[in-house]
Amino acid sequence: MSKIEEVKANVEAGKTKLVPGLVQEALDEGHSAMDILEVMVDGMGVVGDKFSSGSIFVPEMLIAAKAMSKGVEVLKPYLAGEGSTSLGTCIIGTVQGDLHDIGKNLVAMMVESAGFDMVDLGVDVSAEKFITAIKENKAVKLVACSGLLSTTMPALKETVAALKNCGLEGFKVMVGGAPVTQEFATQIGADAYAPDAGSAAVKAKALVTAA
Amino acid sequence: MLTKRQNLMETIKGGNPDRFVNQYEYLDIILEAPLRTRPQRGETITNEWGITLSWPEDQMGPFPIHDDAHRVIKDITKWRDVIQCPTVDFSDEQWAPAIAHAKAVDREDKFVTVFFASGTFEMTHFLMGMEDALMGLYEEPEHMHDLIDFLTDYELRYAEKVIERLKPDALFHHDDWGSQIASFMSPDMFKEFFVEPYKKVYKFWKDNGVELIVHHSDSYAANLVPDMIDMGIDIWQGVMTTNNTPELIQKYGGQISFMGEIDSGPLDHPDWDAKTIAQHVEKACTTCGKHYFIPCLTQGLNLSSFPGVYDAATEAINQMSKKIF
Repeated sequence: MSKIEEVKANVEAGKTKLVPGLVQEALDEGHSAMDILEVMVDGMGVVGDKFSSGSIFVPEMLIAAKAMSKGVEVLKPYLAGEGSTSLGTCIIGTVQGDLHDIGKNLVAMMVESAGFDMVDLGVDVSAEKFITAIKENKAVKLVACSGLLSTTMPALKETVAALKNCGLEGFKVMVGGAPVTQEFATQIGADAYAPDAGSAAVKAKALVTAA
Repeated sequence: MLTKRQNLMETIKGGNPDRFVNQYEYLDIILEAPLRTRPQRGETITNEWGITLSWPEDQMGPFPIHDDAHRVIKDITKWRDVIQCPTVDFSDEQWAPAIAHAKAVDREDKFVTVFFASGTFEMTHFLMGMEDALMGLYEEPEHMHDLIDFLTDYELRYAEKVIERLKPDALFHHDDWGSQIASFMSPDMFKEFFVEPYKKVYKFWKDNGVELIVHHSDSYAANLVPDMIDMGIDIWQGVMTTNNTPELIQKYGGQISFMGEIDSGPLDHPDWDAKTIAQHVEKACTTCGKHYFIPCLTQGLNLSSFPGVYDAATEAINQMSKKIF
């Protein structure tokens, strides 16, 4: 197994202590930071798919994301010289009236692992706050809105409507959360729906690269 | 007509129930028993464990706060330095309302039931946040085992006191082990960390007069059912429709019973209507049948978030009993 393949395998396995050293070794062997980053993103794609299919669970996904994050720390000084590697900025938050954050945090972690810069607004986020964040951050390509309670589905609808009618452009809106379905997402005018954190990362990437 | 208690036993033993067990009717839950402080709506409190809980006015329940200023355990390797274990010694005065309630229960009809929350897994993430709790299982397994043993020991000490004071017939124990579509962890990890501690606790309750262990997890947890049986759980309350309950009944009926299948989420909201609730109840009762099944909203107590929903479900179950029995 080549060093770069080892990086990928160890990100997938969530080896938080091994990944930084392996990334450094791959750099020392002459692999570019971009190539190393790419295999780590691919590794997280595998992790996301396994999570979506139910063959791994939340701890495995968290630990893989942490391993990748430690690898990225090593890469950062090298990436700075290789131009932008980001897919853009993703604003994420749980909609107004809803304080659940576990699912939202998992999505943030996976979307970040797919190559986005994340701005996490937390929970109980009003439509106005989402819009302000779009104005205040550069290169916003995606807004991800989460809602766990069936009682906050109207807030999800209002938030999507406000985002679509705010006069700002250049970003897509993705929604998710336990009571949300593809049908509901379509009905409220969201650009995408993701049923779990793994598929959220896949959808996020697809939305931005297709734009 | 069988008493509620008899009807429950006939249902979970595969005997001859004369109607559906209607939600929580067989449990008389002694909520007056002293345990720990919970915030009221609109309050933010720090409880006996040091956990800060906030219940905003517009929410249906309290939430633990896990920012850096409020998380109790910030470094799992140092949990012993920061944890404060609440006392289980309460005064006669504190016990009096619970004892009076328990004495008033007709035990021929209902089970005098102790309520215990939060369970061991929930406590780990209440103390340190979900991400840290779940990653700790990978990164610092020995410390997590030690913390879980500590929490288990607390429950055993509390159980001893409750048993002495109330002589309960049943335990209603909360610990959510999954989201609506998956368990939080794999069955292997669950087995490694939680099965033995729970076996120990549930055995203690049962060795001391508790006949019935009812465990609440309103989630998907079908993959954990063999472990629930191993732990000594008699009834899994909160089983959601995502679990394929009819299949679970077919596979495990006789070893464990299932209470739920009427998901609170889509029914318990401000615009609820009795007709939709009745449809969900009918589907639950007809697909799950008379044995090893208790139709119930998945909510973890005998109430609903919005007034009228629980009673509408009760009435719909009564109608199904007339139809099916």
